[in-house]
Parts: sequence; structure tokens; C-alpha cells
Amino acid sequence: MKKRLYLELENCIGCRSCLAACTQCGGHEERNRNYVYDVNPLVNRQTMPLMCLHCENPACARSCPAQAIQIHESGAVLSALVEKCIGCQNCTIACPYGIPKFDTEQNLMYKCDLCIDRTKDGIPPMCASVCPSNTLQWLTDEEIENKKKQFNLDNGKWVTSMPYLEGETNVKVNLPGILQGITKLY
Amino acid sequence: MQRDKFFKEIENLNHPNEKLIKTHCSYCGMQCGMNLRVNTQTNKIIGVEPRYDWPVTVGKMCPKGVTAYQQTNHKDRLLKPLIRDDASLKGTTEGFREASWDEAYDLIVKKFKELQSKYGKDSLSVFSGVSMTNEKCYLTGKFARVALGTRYIDYNGRFCMSSAAGGFLRSFGVDRGSTLPWTDIHETDCLFIAGSNTAECHPTSMFRIWNVQERGGYIIVVDPRETPIARRADLHLDLQPGTDLALANGIVNQLIELGYLDDEFINKHTNGFEETRELVKEFTPEYTSMLTGVAPEKIVRAAELYGKAPNAIVMFARGVEQQHKGVDNVSAYTNMALITGKIGRPKSGVATFTGQGNGQGGREHGQKSDLLPGYRKITNPEHVKEVCQVWNITPDEMPKPGVSAYEMFELMEEKTIRGLYLLCSNPAVSAPNQNFVRKALKNLDFMICSDFYLSESAEFADVILPAVTWSEDEGTVTNIEGRIIKINKAQEPVGESKPDWQIQVQLAERLGRGKQFSHLKTARDVADEFRLASKGGYADYYGATWDKIEKQDGVFWPCKDENDKGTPHMFLDKKFYHPDGKAKICALPYRPPAEEPCEKYPLRLTTGRVVYHYLSGNQTRRIPFLHDMCPEPYVEVHPETAAKYYMEHEERVRLYTRRGEAVYKVKITEAIRKDTVFVPYHFGHEDSINLLTIAALDPISRMPEFKACAAQLEKVEIKKVQ
Repeated sequence: MKKRLYLELENCIGCRSCLAACTQCGGHEERNRNYVYDVNPLVNRQTMPLMCLHCENPACARSCPAQAIQIHESGAVLSALVEKCIGCQNCTIACPYGIPKFDTEQNLMYKCDLCIDRTKDGIPPMCASVCPSNTLQWLTDEEIENKKKQFNLDNGKWVTSMPYLEGETNVKVNLPGILQGITKLY
Repeated sequence: MQRDKFFKEIENLNHPNEKLIKTHCSYCGMQCGMNLRVNTQTNKIIGVEPRYDWPVTVGKMCPKGVTAYQQTNHKDRLLKPLIRDDASLKGTTEGFREASWDEAYDLIVKKFKELQSKYGKDSLSVFSGVSMTNEKCYLTGKFARVALGTRYIDYNGRFCMSSAAGGFLRSFGVDRGSTLPWTDIHETDCLFIAGSNTAECHPTSMFRIWNVQERGGYIIVVDPRETPIARRADLHLDLQPGTDLALANGIVNQLIELGYLDDEFINKHTNGFEETRELVKEFTPEYTSMLTGVAPEKIVRAAELYGKAPNAIVMFARGVEQQHKGVDNVSAYTNMALITGKIGRPKSGVATFTGQGNGQGGREHGQKSDLLPGYRKITNPEHVKEVCQVWNITPDEMPKPGVSAYEMFELMEEKTIRGLYLLCSNPAVSAPNQNFVRKALKNLDFMICSDFYLSESAEFADVILPAVTWSEDEGTVTNIEGRIIKINKAQEPVGESKPDWQIQVQLAERLGRGKQFSHLKTARDVADEFRLASKGGYADYYGATWDKIEKQDGVFWPCKDENDKGTPHMFLDKKFYHPDGKAKICALPYRPPAEEPCEKYPLRLTTGRVVYHYLSGNQTRRIPFLHDMCPEPYVEVHPETAAKYYMEHEERVRLYTRRGEAVYKVKITEAIRKDTVFVPYHFGHEDSINLLTIAALDPISRMPEFKACAAQLEKVEIKKVQ
């Protein structure tokens, strides 16, 4: 059954285990490929991960003059092919979220490939495997549908979608505020 | 073991030419399951793979866990014994030369014998730790008493778990850190969490904790800082450091006032309620608020939420325990569960977040100055007799009780203790009042240190013995829940390093105690003797064989025999471990912290951990990812307080107390009380916040008051006027 990366931003505790794990998938040259931000560090300890959302129509791939960024049949937007990437950084500029990173020494772009060696066989990516707070989860569409029923945000949106995002994404993101609609037990 | 809703059947990724060794993390009491990736050609550990099938943590790991494997083949590993001939270089990394094990052992035996013949058996001491297996902890206690014959052994649990132990012993008559398995946490209705920065110190508890809120339950957090868990809590009780006892009494007052008592439970299963009711009468919300700085309505609300909950768990950690009234704090918060009867059933109970990997098991089997295996007392002649039979010595050979960890430094300073065998600990960072502790270490006639890196404490040693990491040996550990689990060996020891149990056997033989030690040839041999030594004690591990641990995904103690499956939930029969079978509700008068703020030192200093480092940082500071994320300590200051001192974010400032001073970068955040500053304690030398902390000890647990003392800030540079 197809599973997706699903993000519940409310849960993030800022441990950056996802970044540590990103270096460990075996195919990432021990470099982490995503971000965790302190949302307002002088005020509180809120943090949030910024992961590649694996857009259905990815700006990074569209902007690549060398067609170095391939899309896997699972929907994962892969890292640039080493032999094709010309190091122009169009992808980094084009990505609305600034995801693709750039290796200045090798003149190559690199980005999250959703641990394709794992996810192509149904094994969760490293980040979602280790995430201690369940900010990052690896779920079936049915499980994501259940999340949608469970959480009602007061803005009527339960996940990021248009107009917040540039387009539809394979990764589903749940905005902070999931607890707003919860009925308390007592 | 029952698998809960978080458990998913997931295959692991197998890379070519690799095998996976199932084990657990080397760090905190969570003991997250992990697989170590081992290259089958080089037989070296090369990485980590989640252990999805471990029922407690289902593959999850914090950043320390993910990178833990990098310790094993780290460039800083000690590969050979080191000897330093020039004692004037103590306290530095200089002057060490490589030596053979024989030369090191010969020197140690010669020096130990010299000291003991000149100054008596008790001139030697052992200072150990609990980030090692039960087998090693057990043998260290035996080594001190039998091979060295000294009364002076104690361990770093005095800086970690001993107040929880003391509180539980007084309230329940037994000290198991959690009365229920962690797999109950997400099913409870209310979590009351005091003095635990859970998201940073025990991150893999968080998916269960957040789930309580998703189900509509409540989280109440008690902390002077708005930690990540406090930020999302339903109620944050932002108390002044060191005032927990007042808060707990205030909540108990309100639980009584608002009628949340379980009278039947109190009558049948507890003692001490009437005295306690009398004592807490004065702790009205207003009076409690005056003592703690928490708004009165928050105190009432906490009592309502906890009192109304069908099921609730009271949890706490070092924040309440590392005080000179830590034991009282533990018993006072435990009172909440006892007067409402929320204990002795699934989904309700009391738990402490065990700090060290084997904080639970390591304190049960004889490393503590007055304890013997199975939680037996060295002052009880019956207990001594039982252990002597296993140890093959006569009761008159058993030393008397010694003193606690910090008090050993006092004896070193006054030369009662002249020799030290330090292992699995780094007190030159982790002990309070460092200026004194470092002086005491320097004052020793002879010190040996066993470690796998050259720690700040090893810098004071005459001989350093290279120990193995957790991944190069096997044995059991008792995790945060009281579940005995198995650590497996993934790689042969690097260089000439050896496991501590083997070092102790070989030293004991050279000290003429081969009869008591020579039969211990493998870790399993030690395990078998250890289970036997614990048999009949209340921390009975006899039935927890390695096979059973493997088959059942761990065994909860007590586990008395082959057919006993262990005890995940304590007190289900409502029988507590005091002789009359009842728990004790404790009437505990409030005492302020040992050192209150004054005009000269107007701020409250509190210390703690960050998610990227473990204990003294001797391990984690060497891991590149963790170092990059948190390379140096800092002082957290509220913006209003910083403005008063004209301090800016990231400016370097001097922080000082009556005992010492250090210079830190200011980290401005509104997520801390205005009267409180915080510094993480994982750093050594001149960066160590323990240069400033106070050694006020709890009268029962002998735990120092790391969590509260009076401090002052000062600018170190005059900034240009803009």
C-alpha cells in the first residue's frame, strides 16, 4: 500500500533527530538534506521541520536546464543526477521553500530523495522512522484521511494546500493548531 | 509483551555486506531499541538502523541515539593503558605514556597495597557510574568490598537518581522508578510532569505524551522554564526553582479541599493521611503562590485536572530531585497519587524519568555506599550473610557502609581517602562545587581511571585504563520502566581496550582474590552470579535470564524464578512493600532552597540538559553532529532581566556565585522566569557550570542541590554606545 510522508508541525520539539537520521540512510553521503527552524527563538521554543514536500509538479525539476532532477514513479523528487547537474542553482532559487542545497566544492546540488532506497520497498524514510515526537510520520492515504477527520482547524483547513502552497504535494503537512478542535475527555 | 497501536510490522533495510545487531542505545534511561549496522568484511560498526520491533520506542531515536554508534570507532578512543609518572601534571592532559596492561596492573597493585598497608583498607575508594550494564555495576560493588576490602564505594547516581530512590522507598517501601510500563502513558487521561524537560532529555517519550492530548487528555507541566513540552501543555506551572515541595503541598491541599480523595484507598492501603492533611492546611493557593511564584488559579486548576482524571500519572525528574529536599519533593508529589488512589492499576501511577541508561539497575545491586545486590542493606546482618555466601567470603570480611559520592571528595581533601578507582563517570564535570572537587582529585596520592575517552576526570589520573564502549560487550540494563533488557555485542574491542568486568577480575586476581573472581570468564558468568546474588532481595532478578529477556522483549523486576514472567505493573494487588503492606502518605514541612537570592546574588541559577548532549558530555561532545548543534554552553536570560543588565543576545557575560564563576554567551528567551537563569551542564574545564553550583546535600539521598542556587550576572566588556 502506498504510503506518504505526513507532517504534524504542532508536535515538533526541535530535537533535529530527523537531520541526524538523514545522514544515516546509507545513500546520503552523510549529509542532511532538510531543515528545522526555530520559529521565534527569542520568544519561545517553537520549532518546525522544513522538509522537501515532493511537489506533484516540482518547480526545481521544471527549472533545471539540464533535466538533472528526475521524478521517481512513487512521486519522490530525486536529488540531481551527478552526471547531469551543472551546478547552476536554478532549482534552489525556483523552489518556493528553498529546499535544494548546494555543495560549492563539488559544484553540485543535493536534496531529499525521500530515502528512495528505503521507500521504494515500503520502508519508512529515516527521518520519519526516528522522529521521537511523531512530527514526521509515514502513513497510508487512509490513515491520512482519518487524521483529516480527527483534526479540524478553525480556519477550515487541516493541511497546507492551495493557496498556501504553490501546488499539490506528495507530502502532506498538518498546520500547527491540531488541538483546536479536540473535544476534551472531561 | 503486548504491542500497542504505535507498533507496526516493518522490515529493516539490509545493505549488502552488512549485518544488523539488535541492541539498545548507550545513553539515557529510555534505552531506545536500535540496530547497529556492522560491515561483515571489516567486522566494524558503520551505522545505525531503526529497531521498529522494540515495543517501547518502535524505531524512534533522538539525535544522540542516531549518532551513538560513532563512539565506537572514534579517533579519540583510548587504545592502550596510559601511565603518567610526573604527578605534578595532574589536572592536565600532559605527561601520559603508553604502557602494557601488565605494567599498568603491576603499578596499580603496588600502589594500592602500599596505600592500604600504610593507611588501612579504607584509604582506597571506588567511584563508579550507572551508564553501564547490571553485570558491571554488580561486579564493581563486589570488587570494592571483596578485592579492595574498602567501605568507600559510591556512584554518580547520587547526582542523578538517588532522591527518587529515597522518595519511593519512603512512600512505597520499594524503589522501582516507574510503577507501570511506558506503553501505558498514551492511554492515561492526565499527565502531571514536574521538573522534567522531557522533550530534550527523554525525547522518545514524546510521541506517547502528545497522544494524551490528541485523545482529549491533559498535560500539566511544572518547570521554571517554558520547555518544549511546557509550551504545548494544557497547564504550565512556572514555579521558582527549588520550591516544588510547597507546590506539591498546595496541590494536595486543593485535592483535599475540592473533594478528590479516594477515602477507601486511603483507609485500606495507606498510613499518614491525617498528619498530612493537617500539615497542608496552611498551603492555601495564595500561600503556595507566595512561596512558589505560581498563580493561585493555576494551582487550583492543576488539582482539578489531576483530581477529576479517571486515570492519571504523576511523573518527575531531576528538576525536583536535584534539590537538598529532593526526597521530600518525590514523596510530596507521590502523595497526589496516594490520596486520590491513582496508583496500583494500569494507566495510573507514579514514575521518574531515569536519567542514565542503567540508572535503575545500577542503583539496586551494590554500588551505593550502603547497599548490596538485590537492594539489600549492608547494615542488615541477614542481608550481609546472604551475599557473603554468593561472594565466598565471611561476614566479618564485609566492609561497613561508606559515604555518598560528594562526601567522598571531602574525605579525599582531608586525606582519609588517598586512592581512587574511577570508572564510568566524569565527576570533574558533573559534581557540584567543582573548584573543591578538582582540588580533592588533585590531592589524591594515586588515582586510576577507566574510560574509553580521556575525560576531564581522567586528566587527574596516574593510570588510565582503556575500557570498551557499550557496543563491544554484552549484558543487561534496567530501563526507565524497570524492564531488564539485553545489550548485545556488535564489534570486538578496539585496540587493547577491555570491558570493566574483565579489568576487575584481572586486578582482583593480582590482589590475591582469585578465589572470588577467577571463575568469571564471560559477561554471562557475571550475569549468572549476579542473578543469584539478587535472589531473595526485593530487586530480585533471579528469574530474568538472558533467554527470557530475548523471548519476552525484556523482563520487569521483580522476577523471582523461571516461571515468573516479571512485573510490568507494580502494586496491582494494592500491596506496598512496607511491613504492614501499606503505602506512606508523607507530611512534609516546606523548606526553601539552601541558598536564597539576596542583594549580592539576586538571581536563581538552575542547570540542566540539552537534547544534543548526555551527562558530562564526554561522549556526545566528540560526535560531530551533536557538537555542531550545541558546541558550547550559554546562559538563558529573560529579555527583561537582560535589559536590566544592559545585556544583548549572544553577548559574553560573567556569571558567578559564592563558589565560582564562568563566562557564557547570553541566550535571550522569554521562555524562562525573569528571576531565573539557566545553563546546561555538559561542558568541562572553565566552561563548567558546576564551578558555580552548590553542594547542599539532601539529608536522605545525599543528592546535591544542582537545581537552585543564588547567582549574579555581570558584563565582561563595555559595549560601545550606539
